[in-house]
Amino acid sequence: MPALEAAEKAAGRVEYMGDLVVPGMAHAKVVRSPLPHARIASIDASAARSLPGVICVLTRDEVRADPDIEELYGFVYRDAPLVAMDKARHHGDIVAVVVAEDIATAEAGVELVDVEYDELPAVMDVHAALAEGAPRVHEEFFPIAPELRPVEGTNICHRATLARGDLAQGLAEADLIYEDEFSAPPVQHCALDLHAVISQVDDGRITVWTNCQSPFPLGRELERIFKMPARVIVPYVGGGFGSKSRDRIECVITAAAKLAGRPVRYVLTQEETFLSYLRPAYANRMRTGVKRDGTIVARHNTFYVDVGAYAISGARSANNTLKVAIGPYKAPHARVDCYAVYTNKPPSAPYRGLPTTQHTMSYEVQLDRIARDLGIDRLEIRRKNLVRDGDIHITGDYLRSAHTHECLDKAAAAIGWDRPLAPSPDGRTLRGRGVSCTIKYTLTPPRQMSENSAEVVLGEDGVFETRIGTVNIGQGSDTAMAQIAGDALGVGLDSIRIVHSDTGRVPVDSSTTASRSTYHMGVAVVEAAGRLKQQVVEAASQLLERDASELTVSGEGVVGPDGDGVGLSDLVRYVGAPFAATGDCVVGGTYRAPDGQDYPIASTFWTFASCAAEVEVDTETGQVRLVKAAAAATTGTAVNPQSIETQLEGGVGQELGPTLFEQLVWDDGGQLINSALLDYPLPTMETMPTYASELVDHPFEGGPFGAKGMGEIGSVILPGAVVNAVYDATGVLFHDIPLLPHKVLGALDAAGRG
Amino acid sequence: MQPFEYVRPDTVAEATRFLADHADSSFVLGGGSAAVVMLELGVVRPEYVVDLGRLEELDGIEENGSLRIGALTRIRTLELAPQVRRDYGLLAEAASQVANVRVRNVATVGGAVAYGEPQTDTPTALMALGATVRIGGPEGGRTAPIEEFYVGPYETVLRPGELVAGVDVPRPPAGSGGSHVKFTVGSPENKPVANASALVTVEPSSGVCRAARVVMGATGPVPVAARAAGGLIGDAPSSARVAEVAAAAAEEADPIEDLRGPIWYKRRITKVLVERALTCALQRAQGERA
Repeated sequence: MPALEAAEKAAGRVEYMGDLVVPGMAHAKVVRSPLPHARIASIDASAARSLPGVICVLTRDEVRADPDIEELYGFVYRDAPLVAMDKARHHGDIVAVVVAEDIATAEAGVELVDVEYDELPAVMDVHAALAEGAPRVHEEFFPIAPELRPVEGTNICHRATLARGDLAQGLAEADLIYEDEFSAPPVQHCALDLHAVISQVDDGRITVWTNCQSPFPLGRELERIFKMPARVIVPYVGGGFGSKSRDRIECVITAAAKLAGRPVRYVLTQEETFLSYLRPAYANRMRTGVKRDGTIVARHNTFYVDVGAYAISGARSANNTLKVAIGPYKAPHARVDCYAVYTNKPPSAPYRGLPTTQHTMSYEVQLDRIARDLGIDRLEIRRKNLVRDGDIHITGDYLRSAHTHECLDKAAAAIGWDRPLAPSPDGRTLRGRGVSCTIKYTLTPPRQMSENSAEVVLGEDGVFETRIGTVNIGQGSDTAMAQIAGDALGVGLDSIRIVHSDTGRVPVDSSTTASRSTYHMGVAVVEAAGRLKQQVVEAASQLLERDASELTVSGEGVVGPDGDGVGLSDLVRYVGAPFAATGDCVVGGTYRAPDGQDYPIASTFWTFASCAAEVEVDTETGQVRLVKAAAAATTGTAVNPQSIETQLEGGVGQELGPTLFEQLVWDDGGQLINSALLDYPLPTMETMPTYASELVDHPFEGGPFGAKGMGEIGSVILPGAVVNAVYDATGVLFHDIPLLPHKVLGALDAAGRG
Repeated sequence: MQPFEYVRPDTVAEATRFLADHADSSFVLGGGSAAVVMLELGVVRPEYVVDLGRLEELDGIEENGSLRIGALTRIRTLELAPQVRRDYGLLAEAASQVANVRVRNVATVGGAVAYGEPQTDTPTALMALGATVRIGGPEGGRTAPIEEFYVGPYETVLRPGELVAGVDVPRPPAGSGGSHVKFTVGSPENKPVANASALVTVEPSSGVCRAARVVMGATGPVPVAARAAGGLIGDAPSSARVAEVAAAAAEEADPIEDLRGPIWYKRRITKVLVERALTCALQRAQGERA
């Protein structure tokens, strides 16, 4: 079914951040560092302050002067000052905020802020940052999440290892060892809805309207930094893809609002988003030991994530993907080493499953190299090694609901894998096909705990108001939760109203990230709805003098066996107050497997998927065109198949950019040179392939009506399939994306294929 | 965007007078597809934005042995006009490849010519067709062959106070065929890495090529007309000959390295595009013969 709000959105009647107006609000613009790394010698904002229409200018001096403001932001890693204090750490770093009556005056004010910088040597990539004696981006480390481990005296803000078996023994048992290095440059999320904030500080309370993806953690961070209660309201959001999951801008603008004594609105321009949060640069070394029959016996992935200037998000994201860096394969001896490294790039943010996508590309491309070298069919080598239910993952998890073989078979069949490739129409194009398989985690706490709650309230209007912290970011969460609530209550969608993402009105939720909402919020909604239904039936049983077991609930009311009954509104009036119930989603702890053993839970559920792709390579220009693609994913019971199909399709369509042509480029001076959409091509409808989504929808035990999450998986699986298809077409193996035409043509020349 | 004063003259004379009087502080707004972006990004910060949108005398196309295109004519109009498609197919084809339909609906021919942006398609095609730019100015009008109109990237022979009033395109003789091809990275809507326009005239009876023009755009500062195209004249060109001419033409191009690719690559692409454009143009010319 289409999203509940689809017609409203199409008619332009839904409010996004850009539409919101708070009475009396002023407008902010930001002074950003033009240099990647500099000591700030002085800031003179007097000319800006005296410009008519300028209300105030927030600099480090105002932050330091206010004893009730903490300087540093970060609830995962606390290393980002609200505004630059001693140093600016990337091109675009926030140095000051000008608040004015209108945007043009704020812009004029920005130009009048005189900042004197003493340029410092910058480290623009991981290689430079890890070099002996490299300049330090931060002199101190402030990890908050307990799993984060910086390496003192270096730019490594987090280093971790995950291992199972004995890698040395595995490599010794291998007949052949393959070693490859893969990499991918930074890209930007380019959500249509620009990141925007309105903040109001009034009577010792903060109210923030924002399109961020983590309203509850943000509210807590605001309370910690400003020492006063905070409410965070998130309207409909037009995409985030991770870029809006953990930014400091809400806190920066709240400091400005406090100083201004007025509500303050700030909307990042698209150019500013390029300077604010990126999918980070990634590099790795993948070593795999195999038997001659293609069986993987050992795998070692050492990967480096460039978290940029602040680790507020990137360090933990990198750490989370330790769990999936060897892929959905049985590797009895496996080890993953993760390095999260500071550089003078803008801070990194998750991007649809970061960096699972890059891991997947690496192990899938290497697997095709191994298959070709050993003369084994590409699907066969996967079937031989893919995990199945009951296999133990590198994390020690007992895997279930894997269905990896079915994903692979369905994806391959969907593009006609066994049919011969169409001949080249003009003799100058080469065609080829490729597949890729993946495993993806969801955010999971290290111990048993509640990740979120939901509340269902039945009021006098006879509607079940379902209150959830999940942000409606375009993924269809309101619709899925309404379907789940309706099924749990036994009522139709017209009896459900969703209230979302307002920390003052809905129960707590950790975030709308990591493909987690359908499962986690769904579980809480089922529990809340079940409890509410019980209350309703009990009240009706008293009123109707019937045993509760004789009563059924529908959108009209509660009905007895003889057609006697009471309407929902009447029942609420009879009781004299709305019915209300909450539900929780408790996760973590251990899993008791069918073998009677308890296993750890590193991920509440694992999502598995495969992608098959067919490409055309123009040997005269090096242009790669994705002709056909299919994605198959384990979804558990599909709550809304249409929504899942389009979510997968969107993932493939978006990831096509970073796979084929998107990348951010810095010049030698550390300046981002393509920070405008004019110079940063994005996928369009014209780049979309013929495409099919395949659902592998077996119920997942524990999920709401058997559902599990799949939001990010469509993008994760594309690059590996495309690179492998190009390998199939040309015989040339690429170790890095994007597959820019000049790179492809150069490689074809070198291989004598051009 | 910094505040500016908005000026909307009603006549060309009024417009050119204003532009002459405020040469250093005014900025011309045509359709707005490029101008608004430049204002928004702060690339230009004028005191006055002079909107030519009301100058009806600059709008519309007329065909009377040659094509007279008003500066305010939309790229989309050029793409769809029946007489352009019939007799100036190369121009309609180039127009149809500009960005996307939303841009083509607002972008003007005058803007595309006057802006001087290298990564665009219309000037390449106009140059292949031997167009002349009509220039309006405070001291009256003048004309310039489009080959002499461009000085460098975003730089033209327009003097302070002058504006592009339109473009005149001679009708290609019978037996002509033209083709415009472009190459983009990613979506075809993107700005071209390189483009090429070819216009050839073939003798109906023999298939002998009597005239050939090739223009290569987008890779360098200004579009370049390839002298090598002359190598096709006097013979019925074989595909081998076309490939040789394309290779020689690409050597005349003046590519610069940027985000769209290194120099060697742009030259390679130019050769491929010239070959494809010439092959197609020759087929079309022959088709017209048949």
